[in-house]
Amino acid sequence: MSPYVILTITAFSMVLGTLITASSSHWLIAWMGLEINTFAIIPLMTQKHTPRAMEAAIKYFIVQTTATAVLLFASVSNAWMLGQWNIQQMSHPLTITMVYVALALKLGLAPLHAWFPEIIQGLSLVTGFILATWQKLAPISFILQLPNCNPMLITSLGLLSILTGGWGGLNQTQLRKILGYSSIAHLGWMMLVIQHMPMLALTAFIVYVVTTFFLFFSFWLTQTTTINALSTSWTKTPIISTTSSLILLSLGGLPPLTGFFPKLLILAELTEQNLALTATVAALSTLLSLYFYLRLSYAMVLTTPPNTLPAALPWRINFTKPTLLLASSSTLSLLIMPLSPMLSMYLLNS
Amino acid sequence: MSLLRTARLPALKLLQCVHEQHLLLASITAFNQSTYRRPGQPKDNTPPWKKINFNFSKGLQGIKKNFTLLKKELCDPWVGPEGKSLHEHMLEQNRVVWEFRGPESLQDWIVSSDEVIGGQSKVYLKLGKNNTCFLYGTLCSTPPKDGETRYSGYCALRSKQAVKSFDRKKHHDWTSFNTLHLRIRGDGRPWMVSIATETFYSHQADDQYNYFLYTRGGPYWQDVKIPFSKFFLSYRGRVQDNQYPIALDKINTIGFTLGDKADGPFQLEIDFIGVCKDYAHTEDIAYELYKRNPEV
Repeated sequence: MSPYVILTITAFSMVLGTLITASSSHWLIAWMGLEINTFAIIPLMTQKHTPRAMEAAIKYFIVQTTATAVLLFASVSNAWMLGQWNIQQMSHPLTITMVYVALALKLGLAPLHAWFPEIIQGLSLVTGFILATWQKLAPISFILQLPNCNPMLITSLGLLSILTGGWGGLNQTQLRKILGYSSIAHLGWMMLVIQHMPMLALTAFIVYVVTTFFLFFSFWLTQTTTINALSTSWTKTPIISTTSSLILLSLGGLPPLTGFFPKLLILAELTEQNLALTATVAALSTLLSLYFYLRLSYAMVLTTPPNTLPAALPWRINFTKPTLLLASSSTLSLLIMPLSPMLSMYLLNS
Repeated sequence: MSLLRTARLPALKLLQCVHEQHLLLASITAFNQSTYRRPGQPKDNTPPWKKINFNFSKGLQGIKKNFTLLKKELCDPWVGPEGKSLHEHMLEQNRVVWEFRGPESLQDWIVSSDEVIGGQSKVYLKLGKNNTCFLYGTLCSTPPKDGETRYSGYCALRSKQAVKSFDRKKHHDWTSFNTLHLRIRGDGRPWMVSIATETFYSHQADDQYNYFLYTRGGPYWQDVKIPFSKFFLSYRGRVQDNQYPIALDKINTIGFTLGDKADGPFQLEIDFIGVCKDYAHTEDIAYELYKRNPEV
């Protein structure tokens, strides 16, 4: 069978699994969608049969099936105890807690995050992007549907994720691991607000996806996977390097870039909910993430390494690769802040 | 070159071939102990709790050592990646990973030979005259008379797995480099350099990346630079059909093996083992990656 056919089938299955999960309210159908989603991405992970990719795929499979098994156990227990298969009607506190723990493992929320950076390090940049973005949709759709019986648990998961994402990424030199810890931190921000204002969490997720898309694909274009390789990327693609450095700051939540507005709204919402201490801890923990984003920006555009020699650096950029999406995402990642009042009114009041 | 019946790391008693015995580690960690049982030897049925040497002062030393390492691990990130500042990390183009400047440096190495399987090769490790690593011994390819082993005749030197606090594995991150740089003085024999990377699953545990080291002999030191792209993947000594570039972010050990079937004395002197970045070398992997038996 042609590899393109296999790729199409697996990509379609992955999308199908997520859509089944997101659109179903019965536990078994939603579980089925999760399983389809998990199995569909495994061939994408193992496209290149390197030992590291195979290891990542097997680890991912084990972690996800463990989480799904716990999820299924919780849902079956709920059905056993209360006779209820509907996701929104889940009311037993023990089963809801088990479901949240399973979803935390699925998403890679701290303290169940240890698998995520290792796995993303073993994958290619494109597959890593899918893992960091698309694969989060199905578990987030569960969280949106579940009743909130344990606000302390969700807030703790969120705060711990922001802290862990920042702390863990501090001394990484591998870009994929840095983006993995960044994903953990951003999921933490979403978890903080998902119980108060779900649309804001989704908005934060969309902004995260757009911003991280640019980063993953610019690293893919320049074939860089380490900080040292980043430091010479300005010789190859000066515009992308400059834009990437700004987008990294946007990801860190610096005004006046786009990444600031979801964080601002989240902090405002937390304050309105009388969670000022939570908001303070979240804001301070994000400084750790900002530190390593700044470090990447610094390495990219504020240093001139001594290796600008006439050596055979990988300077050949394949300009036939599509860059339209890259251009669009860079615009959205940098310039949406002035539209944020309109967006917040539209998204949050709808 | 194949290494059939390759012994795993030697049992404690075989470290007697190391002359500096007073420098032997007081405790060998679990992953350094061999599980290989020579054919004909009785099985060791000692329960695990009887093998532990309970010693209060040793326990205190262990606590002190581990907490010191833990403190260093927690404080190093405040400086930068791997305890070095970012500038140092970005500007680093050469790094000496192992150098032999004192008897304590020999503690990081393990020697082994076919003696574990009943062979007659001997290998010793000592500090050379110029404070270098001096590996010497005698190779004998006569197979042991146990009715099972058909081939014999190898000697190996391998670095120990580096550990962090509480005996957690520590890996070398060589992603900033692309070449292995050795300064050696051999006797003209061909050696094999083996690099073992971190693996998670047991079916990958014996994966190694190997390349050959042809020594010149003679009184002059030899600088050998082997790009990492030249290393080929082997499993238990057998070269694999599917080759992949070596993953440099988690290197565990490096080893030197001699098995050239030439009986007699040998020696290898190593000044240092380092890594460097050769900007002119842009190859990812030197071996063909085409698909065998493509569908027509």
